[in-house]
Amino acid sequence: MKTIVITGATSGIGYAVCRAFAQMRWAVLGVGRSEATCGAAERKLREEFPGADIRFFPCELSKQTEIIRLGETLTKTLRDDFGGRLDALVNNAGCVRNYYTTTEDGYETVFAVNHLAAFLLTEQLLPALVEAGGRVLVTSSQSHLGTKVRWGDVMLTRRYRPLFAYKQSKLCNLLFAQEFNRRFAQSGVRCYGIDPGLVNTGIGEKNTSGVVKLFWRFHKRRGVSADTSAKTYAHVITSDDADSLYYGQRGPQRFSRQVNGENAKRLWALSDRLCGTSF
Amino acid sequence: MFVLITGASGGLGRAFALECARRGCGLYVTDIDAQGLERAAVGIRRQYGVPVETYACDITDDSAVDGLIQNAQDKGIAIGMLFNVAGLDFEGAFQKRSFNDLASILRVNIEATLRITHKALKLRDEKRDFYIVFVSSLASLYPIPLKATYAASKRFLLDFSIALGEELKPQGVHVLALCPGGLSTREDCLQAIAAQGFWGNATTNAIETVVCRTVSKSLRGKTLYIPGLVNNLLRFGARLVPPSIIARMLHKRWLQAQQQWLSIGNQ
Ligand SMILES: NC(=O)c1ccc[n+]([C@@H]2O[C@H](COP(=O)([O-])OP(=O)(O)OC[C@H]3O[C@@H](n4cnc5c(N)ncnc54)[C@H](OP(=O)(O)O)[C@@H]3O)[C@@H](O)[C@H]2O)c1
Repeated sequence: MKTIVITGATSGIGYAVCRAFAQMRWAVLGVGRSEATCGAAERKLREEFPGADIRFFPCELSKQTEIIRLGETLTKTLRDDFGGRLDALVNNAGCVRNYYTTTEDGYETVFAVNHLAAFLLTEQLLPALVEAGGRVLVTSSQSHLGTKVRWGDVMLTRRYRPLFAYKQSKLCNLLFAQEFNRRFAQSGVRCYGIDPGLVNTGIGEKNTSGVVKLFWRFHKRRGVSADTSAKTYAHVITSDDADSLYYGQRGPQRFSRQVNGENAKRLWALSDRLCGTSF
Repeated sequence: MFVLITGASGGLGRAFALECARRGCGLYVTDIDAQGLERAAVGIRRQYGVPVETYACDITDDSAVDGLIQNAQDKGIAIGMLFNVAGLDFEGAFQKRSFNDLASILRVNIEATLRITHKALKLRDEKRDFYIVFVSSLASLYPIPLKATYAASKRFLLDFSIALGEELKPQGVHVLALCPGGLSTREDCLQAIAAQGFWGNATTNAIETVVCRTVSKSLRGKTLYIPGLVNNLLRFGARLVPPSIIARMLHKRWLQAQQQWLSIGNQ
């Protein structure tokens, strides 16, 4: 049985990706923020797909200790029940904050959740991915365009702008994918950045207020459904010839010129330092 | 230079720790939450590579604080700056809280803060100036029904800080009181700000800016910092109106806010 791990799986795009793969009879291992949201998502999916193997794991992805614990739990589950093989990892959890906030590790929240969590979880699950020749997907976005990483102040401790924080984190997702491939392509694991398009989900309304919230309420109505967006993920994971870095609803997409080897290496080194890893 | 920060694993304390690390200071941090303190310390070292010394303890415990001071002396840590951030509050009317809760507000916000300050001055390098920051609150500027104990405890810090600053000036000690409005420190604060709507956002201060300016102002010898234009206007307005009338207005507003808050909780 094929296996897929999906973060941010209790709502929006992540939940729709769970549905798509439960339909195809993959074992779906979802990750959500709390026991409560995980329980609810698990129940709904099992009701819709009786007999499918669906399991949820709570993890607050802003906390590195929890990510490491999650990595251990998932690795053990994969070893015990699935021959230690992970066919796909979808790093999809993401957030927006309209104020500068820090995680318990002292990192800016959007950078920590949208980028560092994906880096650390992928590092934890690499052996299982190698075992299956699996694929890693990161939910990036067209909003990565027209921006640069603020290298002198990646955590944005000066002049915090919510939109910039988000854009920078989505650029980091693509830089991660690029450097991952340079390092691990020969081991049979490939990484892709995904542009889900504009999707009608609640992301801009959680923990935000004022203009950010209002803007998103109107803007999201023009978006496609999460199920439509999930097709891109299913396509990239199951197709035989996905050899580009960045995919959207209509196939391979162009990405920013900021996504280059030099930036990618630099971000990798920084992420290693901030996660205490040597990935 | 080392800075000593209390309440360093909370949102504001951590922000001060990050700001000082960014400026290249060594950190001596304490909090009652030992795990949180350790995690923040690891993250700060990884980001800035500065020395971060941790000592978890309960600052309401006199002998624990002696331990904190002794530890610094043993390790040869000379403190140049002290941030009194640790503090607490319990929501709710005077009679709805246990007396123990109310007394612990005084014990942490006032007694423990003075204890640390008194003892930390011993760690000072006499040849250099010394800087102390007290985290008071916008709440210190008015008597606030339903938050009476908390607001009065912050008022104590404000008055105390101004007086102490005057007293210690000749010895090269600079004391600053910080009176912030809402700060986006924790997830539940963000939700509370969102629940208060316009006024929530208007009185909220960007935490990264507040910590940066606080440090700069303290180093320049300033004695009071109230961040934000709206907060300063509120303060100015408060001076023109007698305290009893302000208390009446605030009472109404808090009752309303509580009801909104409750109705959100019930949704
Ligand atoms: N919607 C769009 O138009 C759009 C466009 C481009 C890219 N994206 C990206 O798509 C991804 C999914 O977003 P979405 O639109 O589907 O919105 P969403 O429904 O809010 O999904 C985000 C998911 O991430 C989870 N999450 C956030 N912070 C977390 C944390 N600290 N720990 C654990 N889980 C956390 C959320 O859990 P909770 O619900 O418990 O908070 C939620 O399930 C994000 O990476 C987003 O940046 C979305």
